[in-house]
Amino acid sequence: MIDYSDIEKKIREQARQWLKNGEVKYVIGYEKEKHSPLSRPVFIYNADDVDKLVYGPTCVDNLTRYLVDEMKKKPKKGEEPDNRPVGIVVKSCDSKTIVELIKESIVPRERVKIIGVISSNTVNPTKLEEAMQQIPIDKRNDMTLKEDKNEFILKYNGGEVKIPRDDLIADKCKVCVVHNPVISDLKVGDFTEPLKPDDFEDLKELEEMTPEERWAFWKQQISRCIRCYACRESCPLCYCEECVFERAKPYHWIEKSVNQRENMFYHMVRGMHLAGRCVDCGECERTCPMGIPIRKINRFLLKRSKERFGIFPGINVEDKSMFGTYDVGDPEEEIW
Amino acid sequence: MTDKKTINNDTWEPKIIGFLCNWCSYSGADLAGTSRLQYPTNLRIIRVMCSSRVNPQFVLKAFQEGADGVLVSGCHPGDCHYIEGNYYARRKLTLLSDLLEHMGVDKKRFQMSWVSAAEGPKFAEVIEKFTTQVRKLGPQQKLSGGDNE
Repeated sequence: MIDYSDIEKKIREQARQWLKNGEVKYVIGYEKEKHSPLSRPVFIYNADDVDKLVYGPTCVDNLTRYLVDEMKKKPKKGEEPDNRPVGIVVKSCDSKTIVELIKESIVPRERVKIIGVISSNTVNPTKLEEAMQQIPIDKRNDMTLKEDKNEFILKYNGGEVKIPRDDLIADKCKVCVVHNPVISDLKVGDFTEPLKPDDFEDLKELEEMTPEERWAFWKQQISRCIRCYACRESCPLCYCEECVFERAKPYHWIEKSVNQRENMFYHMVRGMHLAGRCVDCGECERTCPMGIPIRKINRFLLKRSKERFGIFPGINVEDKSMFGTYDVGDPEEEIW
Repeated sequence: MTDKKTINNDTWEPKIIGFLCNWCSYSGADLAGTSRLQYPTNLRIIRVMCSSRVNPQFVLKAFQEGADGVLVSGCHPGDCHYIEGNYYARRKLTLLSDLLEHMGVDKKRFQMSWVSAAEGPKFAEVIEKFTTQVRKLGPQQKLSGGDNE
């Protein structure tokens, strides 16, 4: 059985120390939901509350979204701004987002204190809910999820359900390239699974289709889009004060109506705006209520920017941004 | 608007939008005109000061409003009037072209070219080639919502 209590102890200890010294304003972490094995974000303001912090494979959110919100806050009139740093617990995929935010000068490095967890895998909440269907309804009150080497065990009052590992872990974990947080003030955890390089296997099926088949695929997927903007709201890198899709004057880029023409434009332009910046944290696809495979667009652009320009975002703060720089030797075979 | 377009196949002519940079490509087009070179009249020119002014959203908007083909033309690499604008344009627009292909819109509908101010005949040739290419592909209905059932 894989045990996370050591990691949790270290996280709580560090958070307690930071809060007692007044070094941080608050700590953003994960807490367990009451009646479900899933976790949710929590803001800890007092050193007495740090025992709420947990860590496990059900910590699926990308908490760096709250860092962006923190940076946008303005002090009340007449009050001095409180520029103390904010503590945050990140998985290795989320630490890549912090690198991107520092690169773009949204979050200064000295205003965030990072506890990086060497993470193994997170679960796909939809698949967890499917697995929960096997439990009788009256017994779903107090479920816990335990992790073993090859399987997950969902325990309930009266039995347990075993789920093979590959059936439950998130798609993004299967293509992960960093198990170690790329930036942190404290590293916890010690999982040492070997990593496969990312060869974009999941895009192969789409690439082998003809253009007409691809259009039919995307038309069918995007027909479900209701323009709830959950993908945009949960993305830590969509931080524009006025999003291009909200603009009404002097010219509106897309109409507010929800139909195929506008939805296609929305997804394509959002992909272009995130090209070279998206680190594939997977939040957009996880929060989409309609199950649209948004990551396929972002990963396609990630693959192409790596092949064409050698840019892979999220690893190094000193890396160059993709559209802010150029190379005299950029490929141009298709230009007349 | 998402009404199905009723295309009269006998008389359909492609609508091509061209974003031409002021200093090189627009002057090249002007030279083609003063030299009385004949080239197809399907091109509708939008003059921009530099090819890097062309936002990928402009191209997508042109397709959304019903353009059948979009051409972006600028100065040759190394000759940009603003020194490095065309390098930025090259990066943005080649990636846009990849995205169009990934979504299933035919890549041949979008084209970039380098045409300098002295290359009147080359400009005419580029337009001739591109118009024939787009005419073969037929009217563009995917991004303009025309194929919505």
